[in-house]
Order: sequence, then structure tokens, then C-alpha cells
Amino acid sequence: MTRWLAVAAAAILTAFLALPVVTLVGRALASGELVRAIGSEAVVAALRLSLVSTAASLGLIVAFGTPLAFLLARRRFRGSGLVETVVDLPLVLPPSVAGLALLLVFGRRGLVGESLDALGLAIPFTTVAVVLAQVFVAAPFYVRAARAGIAGVPRDLEDAARADGASESGVVRHVIVPLALPALAAGLVMSWARSLGEFGATILFAGNFAGRTQTLPLVVYSELGSADLDAAIAAATVLVIAAVGVLAAVRLARRGRALDLASAG
Amino acid sequence: MTVIAGCGSAIPTSVVTGRSALTIFAAASLADALDAAADPYRSLTGMSYALSTESSTTLRTQIEQGAHADVFLSADTTNPDALAAAGLVDGAIVPFAGNRLAIVVPIDNPAGVTTPFDLGRPGLKVVATGAQVPISTYAATLLERLAALPGAPADLVDGYLANVVSREDNVRTALAKVELGEGDAAIVYASDAAASEGVTTLELPAEANVVAVYAGVVPTTAEAPAAGRAFLDWLAGADGQAILARFGFVAVP
Repeated sequence: MTRWLAVAAAAILTAFLALPVVTLVGRALASGELVRAIGSEAVVAALRLSLVSTAASLGLIVAFGTPLAFLLARRRFRGSGLVETVVDLPLVLPPSVAGLALLLVFGRRGLVGESLDALGLAIPFTTVAVVLAQVFVAAPFYVRAARAGIAGVPRDLEDAARADGASESGVVRHVIVPLALPALAAGLVMSWARSLGEFGATILFAGNFAGRTQTLPLVVYSELGSADLDAAIAAATVLVIAAVGVLAAVRLARRGRALDLASAG
Repeated sequence: MTVIAGCGSAIPTSVVTGRSALTIFAAASLADALDAAADPYRSLTGMSYALSTESSTTLRTQIEQGAHADVFLSADTTNPDALAAAGLVDGAIVPFAGNRLAIVVPIDNPAGVTTPFDLGRPGLKVVATGAQVPISTYAATLLERLAALPGAPADLVDGYLANVVSREDNVRTALAKVELGEGDAAIVYASDAAASEGVTTLELPAEANVVAVYAGVVPTTAEAPAAGRAFLDWLAGADGQAILARFGFVAVP
């Protein structure tokens, strides 16, 4: 009896999680408008902007996040707990809060934005603002995964490499990064997915302008307002496809790590 | 955007206190006036209401998707007409208010916008609303009329369009971006301009101004259609009109 109840509860939750997404995609396919709607000007412009902005965000996240992950994985220092909390904070903050906070820092009257504005650099309403919003909300996914991956590399292997005369940068390049690669890749993919889906911080901080700051999630919202449900559903379907692809990629990365450990053992 | 009742959330028509509660979907520009009208309406009728304010077109889409609303108050007549054409309206469409347009700039006015003709000046950051938001249509009419005035710069409309840095999803967020100083100017409703302490309003030549007509309906998704109709009648009557007038609305032209 208990077992039957458990199975029923599990089935209900699974159906609840699957049904909205399946319905959305089903409706997109059934309408026969999917191809036209995906090819519409708003969706194409948003797709391009989403790809460009998330690529830039990922570049920044890797460039600044990898050293941070190394530091957190390999060094205990005064305030490291605080740094970890700072890194985790965007994960639990509502994106609208992130958007407002970014505006208060980088807005034209903001802490940093005011000086930038004096130099003729305005960030709000530009693609730069889109990228900053994405980096803010998505960086934690990469930093956390990278930190765990780097911490999981056995010290013996590093020491062995050093004993064989490898330099510190050689140890990083030829031992740590290759062994942590599945974790780095998984973190990167999750980070990309979060960037791609970013909505609240973007619309508050970057505004909503086709081709400049209107990413795919903003199209879903805007087209809903224009009563063009087909375009909203098309943009949403593109995001669903991207999300499914992300999960498949993460699974592949995990399997890669499992194989590595198996061959190492 | 104050969303007290999210879309489709079922507000019980009879809560534990024994009072009844209406669900009202209203154009973003009505938010302050309806907040202020809540207390007088409750003391008069014993009826309280939950407000969901957004762009009228977004609200219309929500109703088309089955969201329950006892009253839908739109910032135009197009959205109620569209609902009626789809057979989603119960009874008559009631025009209940007019609203003039206004141009607002931040109080410190960093871009030095002093006349409506400045809107087309290169380099200005104008915050507008999406094409689907009712005020965008009124704003386009206003700009055409301004451009036809003697002394207007030849490229006013094109210059304005080139200056748009964001198309917000409702007029209140456009206003907020000017209050924050991120935008140099925005075309909003006179009621929004009057309600904001963070902006300066530019004088508009009366002959160029546009009056937006607000209309309300009782959707077929209403759970308390009679109470919804009663609210609409009250809003169009003397008491409702007095409150709307206090918030910068004008009579239906």
C-alpha cells in the first residue's frame, strides 16, 4: 500500500513537471505556425542576440571564474567563507532584485555608472547591460562546478607531475584542467543555460529593445503582450529545445567523468 | 506593476470574514487611482478587490487564455472590442475615463529637454513602450500632430524613433526608467505624470494632445459578473469619476 502511494506520488509530480513543457511544444508543432514564427523578425533578432550575448558572458565567466574557482578549491584564506557566500548569493536572489541592484550600481546615477556616464559610457539599454546581467546570475553555476571539479583532482597526481619536473603552470595545464574538464564543462553548460534563460535582471537593467537588448525570454514576454501567441510559443519552444540540449550535454559530461574515474581506478 | 492577484489565481468570492472580493484586471496606468478607490468602495458596498495591473494587451491575452477576472479595465477601446469580438464579454462595453498624454523628464533633466520638439534631438535617450501597449498608438498620434505644428523640426518623428532605447512592456516601467534617470524623456499619461514626484512634466500644446479613452468590460471568465458590473457602473458614476479626476484623469470625450 505504502509502496503504491509512493509510486502514485512520484507519477503525479513527474506528470506535473512534464505536462506544461510537452503541451507547449505540442501546441507549437500542432499550430503549423512554428517555422513561420521562428523565422519572424523578432524571434530571429532575439536568437542572434541571445547567442552573441551568452557567448560573451561565457567568455567573461570562464576568464574570471576559473581563477576564482582555483583559489576557492586550493587555498583557505581569511574571508574565503565570505567569498563563497558572495558567489552563491545570485543563485538564491530573485532576478528582479539582481536587475534593480545592477541598475543602482551601473545605472546613470549609480555608484559606478555615474563616473562611466561622465566618460560618455552608458551601460543601461545596451547589449553590455545584457551581458552583465547574465554574468551576474550565471557565474555561480560555473564557479561552483569548477571549484568542486578542481578540488576533486587527487593531489598525488599533481605531486607526481611535479616530481617529474613539471612547472606549476604545467601542472595546471596538463593535470588539473584535463582531470577537472568534465566538471568544468558541466558547469559551463549550466552557466550557459542560466544566461540564455535570464529574464528578470535583463528587462529591469537592460530594457527591452529588439536587436539590442531583447533576448529570447524577453520575446516570449513581449509577444504574449502583443497577443501574438504563436511568436511567444515559438520563442519558448526554441528555449525548451536549448534546455533539453543542455541537459543532454551535462549527462554526457558526467558520463565522461565517470569513465575517467573508472580508468583511473 | 503591482500584482496582488496573479493571473488565473482563484480569489475566493467569499472569504472567511464574510466579505466578498472582486478580481479586477486593470491597465497599469490605473494602479494608483484604483488603490485609492479600494477603501471608499469597500465602505460603500462591503466589497473589496484584488488588483492585477499590467499592460492592457497582456491582460487581454490572459483573459483569452481563461484567466478569471470580474472586471477588465483597459487603457483603450481596442482590447475590450477584441474580447467582445471573440465572444468573451458579458454585457456592454463601458467607456469610463479619458486620459491626456504628457512628456516627462527626470527632475534634474540632464539632457536639457525643454520643449516637445526636443524629443527628436540626436543623442537623447527616449524610453518608449512596445507596439502592443495602447499608449504607443496614442503617442504616435501625438508625435504626428506635434510634427505638423508651426516651428516643428522636420525630422521630429524619425528623430524620436531613432532615440528610443527601450520598449517597455507597460507605461509604468517607462515612467520608472525616467524617474531613475536612466531615460531622458518618455511619453506617458497625464495621470502617471501627476502621480510621480520624480519627474518634471513638459507643457504640451493643447491642440496637439490626444485623449485616450479607457473602457471596461465584464469578461465571460468572471466568477462574480453581477458584482463586476456593479463596480464598473460605480466607476463610471459620480463617485468613481471624482476619484479618477483626483488622479489626473478626465471625462470621456
